[in-house]
Amino acid sequence: MRTGSLRLQHPRLDADALGPFRFGRMAGKVLLTHDTGEWHLLSEPDFQALLAGELGPDHAEHAALLAKGFVRDGMDAEAVAERFRRKKRWLGMGPHLHVVIATLRCNQSCKYCHASRTDMDRVDTDMSLETAKKVVDTAMQSPSPYIAFEFQGGEPTVNFDVIKFVVEYGREKNRQEGKTLDFSLVTNMTCMDEEKAEWLLANDVLLCTSLDGPQHVHDWNRPWTGKGAGAYDTVMKWISYFNRRYVELGRDPELWHVDALMTTTRKTMDHWREVIDLYVSLGIRNIYLRPLNPFGFITKTWKVVGVDMPEFLRFYEEALDHIIQLNRDGVQIIEGTAALFLQKMLTPDDPNFVDIRSPIGAGTGQIAYNYDGTIFPSDEGRMIDAMGNPMFALGRVGETSIQDAIRHPTVRAMAVASLLDGLPQCHECWNAPYCGVRPLHNYMQAGDLFGQRPNTPKCMQHMGIARMLFERLAADDDGSLARIFQRWTITRPRETPPPATGND
Amino acid sequence: MSDVSVETSTPAEALVDELTWLEDGRRVALRVDEELYPLDAIYGAAYLFVDRCWVYLHRSADKQVEVRLKPKGPTDPAALEALAGELANELLNQVLRVRIGDSTRKIREYYMARAFFSTSTRSSIDQLLAELDQEELAQDDLEISVPWDAPAEREGGGGS
Repeated sequence: MRTGSLRLQHPRLDADALGPFRFGRMAGKVLLTHDTGEWHLLSEPDFQALLAGELGPDHAEHAALLAKGFVRDGMDAEAVAERFRRKKRWLGMGPHLHVVIATLRCNQSCKYCHASRTDMDRVDTDMSLETAKKVVDTAMQSPSPYIAFEFQGGEPTVNFDVIKFVVEYGREKNRQEGKTLDFSLVTNMTCMDEEKAEWLLANDVLLCTSLDGPQHVHDWNRPWTGKGAGAYDTVMKWISYFNRRYVELGRDPELWHVDALMTTTRKTMDHWREVIDLYVSLGIRNIYLRPLNPFGFITKTWKVVGVDMPEFLRFYEEALDHIIQLNRDGVQIIEGTAALFLQKMLTPDDPNFVDIRSPIGAGTGQIAYNYDGTIFPSDEGRMIDAMGNPMFALGRVGETSIQDAIRHPTVRAMAVASLLDGLPQCHECWNAPYCGVRPLHNYMQAGDLFGQRPNTPKCMQHMGIARMLFERLAADDDGSLARIFQRWTITRPRETPPPATGND
Repeated sequence: MSDVSVETSTPAEALVDELTWLEDGRRVALRVDEELYPLDAIYGAAYLFVDRCWVYLHRSADKQVEVRLKPKGPTDPAALEALAGELANELLNQVLRVRIGDSTRKIREYYMARAFFSTSTRSSIDQLLAELDQEELAQDDLEISVPWDAPAEREGGGGS
C-alpha cells in the first residue's frame, strides 16, 4: 500500500470572455474546435491567456480567434449561426442514397464478405422486377432533391435486368419529379461482358469496383469460383476497358473513370506500398484505405484476415505519409477518408457522408432495399438481418412509405445514438465537429447502439485520423501541406452528358 | 449537467489544490472534492479510462467521490502512480470543459436556434468569404479547383 499527493494548479478562467469551444492537446499545441468546424492551434501560454481573458485585441491571435467564434466580446453570432446552418444543411433533406440489393448471389468468396452472399444457384435471392418498381416508387418519395441509386449485392450484375429496369424506370418517373438522379454500380466485374458494359456507358451508370491490390493480394482476399482468368486479371481488364471507352466517348477522364475501393486485411499489411503504387499506375486518383466491417463472414474469418484498429492506424499513418510524399512529388492521388475529414476541417461545407456525420444518415440520409423488398435504414441493417437478426427492418416496399421509414422508431433510436452532442465523451471531444459514430457497429461489437466510446474501434479510427491530419497541419510551417490538403477537398460535379434516354 | 453550482466569473488567482492517491499494487484511488470538481467533470474524466481500466466511483464522504482505477492488464506501482497523474490532469481538463460549457450554453442555444428555426440571414462576412472563394478559384494558379476525385458516398460501398 502506497500513498502520495498531486499538486494541481487550476488555470485562471474568465469563462464569460470565451466563446463555445472544445479543446485537445496535440503536437505540443492546444487545438480549439468550434461547432462550425472552425479550428485554431494555440501555444500553451496563449491558451492560458485566452482562458484568463487576457488575450486582448492587440494579441497576434486575437483577430483570428474572434472571427472563428472563440472569443465572446465582438462575436458575430448571426455569422456563426449561418455557418452552422451551412454545415448541417443536409438535416431535413431526406434520404438521398438508396442502396438496391439486386441479388445476394455472388461468384466470389471474399474472406471478409460483409454482404452475406449466397451461391450462384440461389436465384431465390434475386430481386424481382415487381419489387424493383416498388423500390423506385419508394425512393422517389424522398424529399431529397438528389437521389443516388447504388446497386449492391451479392454481385449485382448477376441480376442485370433489375439494374436496367431501375435506371430506365427511375428516369421515366423522374420526368415528373425533376430531381437530380445518379446511378452507381458496385461490381466485382467478374460477370461483365461488352453488352453490359456498353449499356452502362450509354446510360451513364457510375462504376465502382473492388481492387484490393496486386494479384497475390487481390486473389488471396477475393477467391473467385469462376473458370478462366483470375479475379485480378478480370477486374484489371474491365477497368482498362471502361477507362479507354470513356476517353473514346469524349468524357473527361478526370471525372469519368472506374472508381475502386480496397479493403485492408492482414495480407495488405506487408504490401501496402504495392497497393498504392498499383492505384497510381492505373490513374486512380482516390484510394480509400478502409478497415474491415464487423459484419457477415468476417465474424468467422477474423483470426485469419482481421487487423485490429491500433495496427490499422499504424499502417494508415505510414500509407498517408507515403501518399502525401507522392503529392509532393507531383503525383495526383488522395486518401479518401482523410479527404472527407479535410472537407469538414478546411471548407465551410460538410460532404454529407452518411456514415460520418451527426446524426448518422441511417434512415435519414440513406435507405437500403433488400432483394425481397425489405427496407432497412442502411446496408449494415440489412447485413445484420442476413445474420439472422431482423431488428433493423423498417417495413416493405409497397407497404411502407419513405416517410414511415424516416419516422420509424428504429431510425429515431439510431439518430439519438449518433447525435454527438448527447453522447458521453463525444459531446466534449475536440473531434466532434468532424466525426460521426456508427450505432450498428456498436451494436455488433458491444451489443447496444451506444457502446462505450473508448472501447469503440470507430472512435479510435476517426480520432486517430483527425489527429494525424491536425498534427501534420501544425507542423506545416511553409503551408505546402495545407495547399495539398486544400486540393483534396475540391470536388467538381461530373459534366452532365447528353441524356442517354432522351427527354421526349 | 450537474446540480453543482460552478462559479463562472473571473477568478483573479489561480487555484491550487492537492489530490491524494492510494495504490495497493492492483488499483489506484483518488479522492476528489465535488466543490472543486463538478460531478460531470468526475464522470467525464473517469469515462476516458474505461478501455484500460475497470472504473469504480464510490461516495467516500459527503461531497467527496473516490475514483478507483483497476487496470485490465498487468500493472505495477509506477504504472498506477502514472494513472493517478493522468486522471488528475484529465480532471483539470474536464473542469474547464464543464465551466466553459456552462458559461457558453446560451450562446450555443442561440446560434443553433437561429440556424435551424429561422430563415437564412446570410451575413455580410459569409457573403464576403464566398466572394473571396470565387476570386481565389478564378485565379487558381495551383489548379486546386480541379478535383482528383469525388469521395464515395459512404464507407460501406464496395462490398461486392
